Amino acid sequence: MFLHSSFLALGQTALGHFMQTSRWGFALVEMAHLLALALLGGALLIVDLRLLGVVLKGESARSIGRDLGRIVIASLIVMIVTGIALLSEEAGKCYFSPAFRWKMVLLAFAVLFYFTLHRRALLGTDTGTPGFWARSAALVSLTLWLGVGVAGRAIGLI
Amino acid sequence: MPFLQHLCQILYDSGLGTAIRESDYAYSLIESVHVIAITLVVGTIAVLDLRMLGFILRPIAITRVAHAVFPLTWSGFVIMFISGSLLFWAEAAKMYNNPAFRAKIVLLALVGLNPLIFHTTVYRRVHEWETARLAPWRARVAAIASLSLWGSIVIAGRAIAYF
Repeated sequence: MFLHSSFLALGQTALGHFMQTSRWGFALVEMAHLLALALLGGALLIVDLRLLGVVLKGESARSIGRDLGRIVIASLIVMIVTGIALLSEEAGKCYFSPAFRWKMVLLAFAVLFYFTLHRRALLGTDTGTPGFWARSAALVSLTLWLGVGVAGRAIGLI
Repeated sequence: MPFLQHLCQILYDSGLGTAIRESDYAYSLIESVHVIAITLVVGTIAVLDLRMLGFILRPIAITRVAHAVFPLTWSGFVIMFISGSLLFWAEAAKMYNNPAFRAKIVLLALVGLNPLIFHTTVYRRVHEWETARLAPWRARVAAIASLSLWGSIVIAGRAIAYF
């Protein structure tokens, strides 16, 4: 299997060796992963609550989405880079972990949704009350991202 | 045995502490809730801090952002505090000697002091600067202190497991 062998190959890289043998390597990368998670979670929550019409109702959802979107993208990049490093520590094991597989599938959907329908909903909602589709997009987004987080937490547990 | 250590031992040995520690799922579940609550607290307070530093949401008055963010931050804080206390309860005797835990408690006290100073000083005249694209320097110092303290709390909290 190509995918399985790439996971195993990742564990054999210099990065993988470092993460497996360094005393504090894994801990430090995990801390960076968590800090980025906090930023990502906060920014996404405010954007989606605006799209739901719960907070900052009088302000333009479009410009809130654009501004906080920069935080979302920056922290997402940090999370993906640190995530690959964390994965390299036990890639072979993660490949078979149901929690890890769920996380990757949900992450793919969350990112895809964020750049397509979610983006359209933000662009279409200025200062007014959000419509049905905008609210639905916010709920789907919150559910997908929460799912990514819960599945991610489960990797260490199951 | 010092008084605090004795207290930690009592909590550790109590029925609730033992139940959480020995249950198959309780500790992990509470810990997951704790992580989500921290995301809520730190992520939302960071939005306000970054607004004061002039990085984001510049057209929106600082007080509007604060009003939007505070209910989320405070609900997160309550959940974080309750779940954190339960986690501590279960591991209290070990936490007493854990350097990362001690650092975290000191940092939490400092992060509590920060808004206290901020709200009794420069924030009292917030209506003079709430629409400024960049907050006055004292507010910016408070924002940087808040970001670094909360960041350190996350780091110290994660480090607890490694000692």
